[in-house]
Amino acid sequence: MIERRPLPFRSRKAEILTHQTGIKRLSNIFAYARVIAFMLLSATWLIVETGQSDAASHVRAPENAVNLPVDDGPPNTLGTRSDGEIWSDIRHGAVGNPSSSSASGQAIQSLGQDWRLLRENYIVKYAGWFPVGVIGLLLLYFLIRGRMKIASGRSGKTIPRFTLIHRIAHWFTAGVFMILGLSGLIILLGRPVIVPLFGHEVNSIMTSAALQGHNLFGPLFVVALMWMFVKFVRGNFFQLVDFKWIFKLGGLFGGHVSSSQFNFGEKSWFWLLMIVGAVMSITGLVLEFPWFFEDLRLLQASTVLHGIGAVTLICVSLGHIYIGSVGMEGALDSMLIGEVDENWAKEHHDLWYEEVTGKSAKDDTEEGAST
Amino acid sequence: MSFIEFVEGPFYTVAMTIFLLGAAWRVIGIIRIGRKKDISPPKGSAAAGFFKGNLRHFFPRGIFARRTWLHIVGGYGFHLGLFGLMLFAAPHVAFISERITGFGWPTLPRWGFVITAEIAFAGLIVLWVRRISDPVMRLISDWDDHIGTWITFFVMLSGCFAMQESHVFLRATHMLLVNIWLIYFPFGRLMHAFTFFLSRGNTGATYGRKGMNL
Repeated sequence: MIERRPLPFRSRKAEILTHQTGIKRLSNIFAYARVIAFMLLSATWLIVETGQSDAASHVRAPENAVNLPVDDGPPNTLGTRSDGEIWSDIRHGAVGNPSSSSASGQAIQSLGQDWRLLRENYIVKYAGWFPVGVIGLLLLYFLIRGRMKIASGRSGKTIPRFTLIHRIAHWFTAGVFMILGLSGLIILLGRPVIVPLFGHEVNSIMTSAALQGHNLFGPLFVVALMWMFVKFVRGNFFQLVDFKWIFKLGGLFGGHVSSSQFNFGEKSWFWLLMIVGAVMSITGLVLEFPWFFEDLRLLQASTVLHGIGAVTLICVSLGHIYIGSVGMEGALDSMLIGEVDENWAKEHHDLWYEEVTGKSAKDDTEEGAST
Repeated sequence: MSFIEFVEGPFYTVAMTIFLLGAAWRVIGIIRIGRKKDISPPKGSAAAGFFKGNLRHFFPRGIFARRTWLHIVGGYGFHLGLFGLMLFAAPHVAFISERITGFGWPTLPRWGFVITAEIAFAGLIVLWVRRISDPVMRLISDWDDHIGTWITFFVMLSGCFAMQESHVFLRATHMLLVNIWLIYFPFGRLMHAFTFFLSRGNTGATYGRKGMNL
């Protein structure tokens, strides 16, 4: 059981008052020393002190100088407890009543230090390595596997996949996401990455700019996220066929996998974006408007969740960008022109192809392959 | 001479001169082309049609409004936001007051600036994304459209980066981009800011003279 009691509280004012009290005591000793001048040490000290007083007397006070009243303050401000004991109590949540201010309750707590250590020793230290690692893995995968081609080649016939509004919603979100991602990484990794490379001044400029940009575009991401949800939620609910996709690892290492309009990977990315994006939006708004929230722990938790969520989304988005562009032939068409090649649809979204065209993807694929 | 002194001093003067002379040259050039003389008897007022054509184009017609609502919202959001930022952002008013007019006017509070900037950015991004996503828009767009959009975007972005007013370098970067924007303006489609009323008015006048109800 932790004993909660008022702690002796050190404050700047208390230190000044203590110092002033000490000067008075010394002055009494000096007065006594003048009387018992036979004490050599005291006499010598007195001479020095007199010399200092003479020197001080040459300093002229300003004409409008005012002697402020001195508050002696409460006695025994330093207490009898060691610093170690005091900090131990603080770490265990002890509540102190500051003796020289009007503040009450827990004026000092160690949560901030814990948060700082977590942020600096783990999040800031390792966050940057995750995107670098993902980029490395993607490069390695690309070197080994190469670009996933449309096995039966392009048919030359296309079918509509996304409307213009779908595409605008997607690219709007992507654009805002990239601005937030870059500015967020600068804010998060400025000290460990930019400072050693370019120095404090460059880091200061870049962080200032990134912070303004991040705060400005943050609310746009909230709007974009809601827009994405409305436009893309249909077709992103998990189905039984998704289990087959999981067992075949999405065909990353070969083999055909059936899927409907969106496969398991796309659905997972959608829900991850929605859930983590919602957490990012809420924590981001908390951090952007901190004056609305009195509890410091909420702000500290928000920075931690925001940082972890950001790194998660950035890492997964890199995979999304890879597979949607250089990683798979024909995938980018769906978001650029809104239409995809029929053979691409048969190979990657056969169930959706059958639903849209009313034709069998398997028969057509064989036909396509034979021709 | 420091970088900020250069971009706010001689470079700004040169850029503004090119902007003013270039824009005037373009507008006067269009007006001087004139219109082919119409010898048919007028059935309505061409002058009234000019103004009506201009006003009518601010409001999309029903069927087009339904199909192009995002374009309309994005367009209005961007343009109104941009004008709001240009004319009522506190640093802009201070600059214009000091360098051009000699007097200032009420400015947007910081929260107003942020919301206006967000609307402008959202509109600009939507418009550009539409340009690259819509097959027809992509076909009729050329480098000039993209350069104009991106210069405007970077001018706005650099302005927002400098919002904290903590580093001279950020302000100088913004001014550098503003100068480039001013120089590019008269020679590309950014000039539509000064010519849109002529084209709308020309159409309106033509139809107005024929007595057509716009």
